[in-house]
Amino acid sequence: MSDTTLGVLLLGSAGLGADQDHQSTMYRPAFEAHPGFEVRPDTTRLDDPAVDVVSVCVEPDQRADAVIAALQAGKHVLVDKPLALTAADAAKVAAVAAETGRVCLPAHHQRFHPMIAAARGAVAGGKVGLPWNVQADFLVAGGTPSPAGELANFAVYPLDVVLALTGLRVRRVFARLSTHWGGGDADDFALLFLTHENGLTSTISVGRIRELADTRPAGLAVHRYRVSGSHGVLDIDASRPAVVLRRGEASSQTWHGPGTVDRLLDELRAAIVAGRPSSPSAADAVHVAEIVDAARASAASGAPVDLATDKEGSR
Amino acid sequence: MARHSVTDDTAPLGVIIVGAGFIADHHGAALRGSSRARLAGIVDVDAGRASAAATAAGGVPWSTDLAEALARPDVGAAIVCTPNLTHEPIALQIAAAGKHLLMEKPLTITVPSARAVVEAFDAAGTVVMAAHTHRFYDYARAVNDAIAGGAVGRPVFARLALLGGWIWPDWRAWVLDPAKSGGHALHNGVHLLDLVSWWLRDEPVSVYARGRAQTAAELRIYDYLEMHVRYAGGADAVCEMSRGHRPSTLDRRDVLVAGTDGVLQLPADGWGSTVVTESGTSLLHPQAANGFAVQLDAWLDAIADPAAERAMTPADAVRAVALGVAAELSIERGEPVTLDEVMGGVHA
Repeated sequence: MSDTTLGVLLLGSAGLGADQDHQSTMYRPAFEAHPGFEVRPDTTRLDDPAVDVVSVCVEPDQRADAVIAALQAGKHVLVDKPLALTAADAAKVAAVAAETGRVCLPAHHQRFHPMIAAARGAVAGGKVGLPWNVQADFLVAGGTPSPAGELANFAVYPLDVVLALTGLRVRRVFARLSTHWGGGDADDFALLFLTHENGLTSTISVGRIRELADTRPAGLAVHRYRVSGSHGVLDIDASRPAVVLRRGEASSQTWHGPGTVDRLLDELRAAIVAGRPSSPSAADAVHVAEIVDAARASAASGAPVDLATDKEGSR
Repeated sequence: MARHSVTDDTAPLGVIIVGAGFIADHHGAALRGSSRARLAGIVDVDAGRASAAATAAGGVPWSTDLAEALARPDVGAAIVCTPNLTHEPIALQIAAAGKHLLMEKPLTITVPSARAVVEAFDAAGTVVMAAHTHRFYDYARAVNDAIAGGAVGRPVFARLALLGGWIWPDWRAWVLDPAKSGGHALHNGVHLLDLVSWWLRDEPVSVYARGRAQTAAELRIYDYLEMHVRYAGGADAVCEMSRGHRPSTLDRRDVLVAGTDGVLQLPADGWGSTVVTESGTSLLHPQAANGFAVQLDAWLDAIADPAAERAMTPADAVRAVALGVAAELSIERGEPVTLDEVMGGVHA
């Protein structure tokens, strides 16, 4: 099957908010450029045998149902984040993915960042001993605020990275949600204090601040992780690697090589070809959704929220 | 601030150092460099330690009796560097003697005792200042100056991490006994809790803290602390204080402040030059002002002109204690603790 070209159906072009269209801005160009995929015409039916993969970007409230339908039609799925708006909906998707044996890859593409991917290997290999704390900052500058709030929109990324770095599920969540920049009711800043298995703690700041002169609109102003372990410390600055350009205007950065979405498609293809679940899997998205749900509950109550521990493993 | 000329006409203020531990050396060095104050003596409960420190300081008088030292007419003030548990009784004794006090942080280890100390100095009409030395370091002042100048608009999120490895002695160290030190949140955590509150210019409302006994499971203090502070104006701070990191040579200072108009960072890799040698990689700190000397001057300014605006007020010192107490309590409970609770509803 490794020589086979996989037919891709692009389903939907919606996101969290009126102008978020990851299908057109991210997935279509990535599929078109990536060897081994061929985008089928938008008029292609879901059950057409020429469709192997469905790239799902339908409205978030219909997303889980659309993914389930695609999986049940025997298709592999790439699904925009968030996979579902609640953990309960995400769990339904994961159950169908497990049942059908199809690949269901949530688009948690930041874990494929070259600095982060290298760090995942280093941590897993014991480079810092047994990790006991992670600190993360994920601050986007400018762009259109998500009407669903940035906990729903952005928190998926650093949460997935922290889970991928440590391999440790979250047991307890304390969270703060604020609105500092966007105005309106939607949160644009979240602080997540997580307690994981084996006593590891992590803290994530995530939000959308105002636009900055040296950051492209909706670009990451601060994106970093620090992993403290029993035998060392690993600092990951995901604003690197970068060639820094300083000119008459605001400075900027550039780099060469595949982006995180290209690497996400590498994983999609590899999982399909190998007949294995993808990493991240739908089950991973369920756990992220559980954490997001708990964060919302904690922010509302002002108290930490414990997650149920009887869930199926999601790694 | 009062100018040096206020005291230049008079003899330098005689200052005794009480408690001849390692931090006393820093205060002693600051005194040696000052033209406004002089080291008038050393007091320590251990005669051997007191005499050795007095000899090292050029043969100044020493005593094991604080009352005797305070009774000397050439002694106008004291810098106290004793174990945290003793801060309250010593401070009250100094206030009763009508002398000024620079107290190593924390002012005391409970809110009622911190208030009692401040009230005693108010009654005596002398100056008490807690030695939150980080306020007088270049990095902290640079951050504060930028925020004060409106560089980030209204600051809404601050991160401060001071991370290092084990620097304490063995199991017998008083710092490791929470009854004597108040716990790590009071011993070192107050540095960060005070700094971020100063930077954010907001009143703390609650603290959610997590502690970890990293170096040894048997530790009764948390050598790694993570403390979240929520402020009345909606801002948040995350402070990390560590003496449990490895390698023990780790020396990390990291600041991130996000505001309504921008972001301010003192990146961890910006804190000095990187030196790579056969024995590994280390940081070469930049030359900087001596924070202890700057702090001494601020204290002497307050003594010279008690009505002038102070760099570190008694209310700031009480607030720092309250934040530390709240952090320790939060770790114990696993839940946020309000400042209202630890301050008994009365804010300093």
